[in-house]
Amino acid sequence: MNSILQYFLPHENNNYRAKLLHHKSLLFVLIIIFCASFLIPALRFNFPSVLGISADISSQKLLLLVNQEREANGLSPLILNEKLSVAAVNKAKDMFAKNYWAHNSPDGKTSWWVFIKSSGYNYVYAGENLARGFDNTDNVVNAWMESPLHRANLLSQNYKDVGFAIEEGKLSGEDTVLVVQELGGQNPASLAYNPPKNSVKAVSTVSNKDYAVKGSLISSLSLSSLIDKTILYIFIAVLTLDMIVVERKKIVRFVGHNTDHISFFAMLIILIGILNKGVIV
Amino acid sequence: MYKKLHSHIGYSISLFLILAFGLIIVALSSSNRPLQMIEVTIVTIFYIFWGILHHLVNHDLNMKIVIEYILVGCIGLSMVLFILKGGFGL
Repeated sequence: MNSILQYFLPHENNNYRAKLLHHKSLLFVLIIIFCASFLIPALRFNFPSVLGISADISSQKLLLLVNQEREANGLSPLILNEKLSVAAVNKAKDMFAKNYWAHNSPDGKTSWWVFIKSSGYNYVYAGENLARGFDNTDNVVNAWMESPLHRANLLSQNYKDVGFAIEEGKLSGEDTVLVVQELGGQNPASLAYNPPKNSVKAVSTVSNKDYAVKGSLISSLSLSSLIDKTILYIFIAVLTLDMIVVERKKIVRFVGHNTDHISFFAMLIILIGILNKGVIV
Repeated sequence: MYKKLHSHIGYSISLFLILAFGLIIVALSSSNRPLQMIEVTIVTIFYIFWGILHHLVNHDLNMKIVIEYILVGCIGLSMVLFILKGGFGL
């Protein structure tokens, strides 16, 4: 028992420094993280149904939630359009193929409206919303609604049709799920809206291919985050205990400042939270 | 302990500002993963140098301390890269 405690508490047997904070232990942790960095992709590659991208996003639910927001704001519901969905799929595939994440490709050759035009949809008004790294449909729509520009797109009365693509792939070396929403209006600005009866039900019966990603049983990103956060919390706890015990016993040591390391690890925990959040453009 | 913390308050505030600034720039670059990786690397390097510099100013710097800061920095950096890339290889 004592030998285990030595890893977490300063004691004369560990030179008054928790063993977990010794150089050998730090190096060991570093090697473990490095090994896990190879092990998780290997598991993901061999067992994709168990470990990989896990996202429960579907175009039908996206449509439902977007139309609920529109109806709450007194606007007509959008209709799922096959041509716009094709445009959205082509846009998503272009981003994966050319490895970019923006409305326009970095070479300037393909702007977002090119995909709508080439799908055969003759628009008067058109718009595009993008999202990546989200694990469910609600979070995608919430993020769009919280952004003034995306919200303006969703709640524009100029748009009558919508198309979605939910595509899984690798962007900048990172496995991710892209959500592309193409909005269009073939007629000039709409007239005043008279809410139809059971409009949400009517939308859900639109016959259209449902682009959806369900994913693996366990999200590799969530697993990586869990491993990281567990290690960081253990380090913060050990550093805090080490600091308190040494101060109480008035032990003089020449080691790094625990407060520095605690601050650094705390920043990393917040950072992991930021990195795990989906992004929109 | 409070006395000791008080004597390092200027250093602690400056370190806090470096880390907070790092968090803000990473959050603002959310649509650019490669840039985020560069930013996290720069913040970690700052953290290591700032720690070493502080010990140097206090005349208690030795090689063990330098290695400690480097190892802690490497652990932090490898964790973030691990998350960003979802693991290396393949």
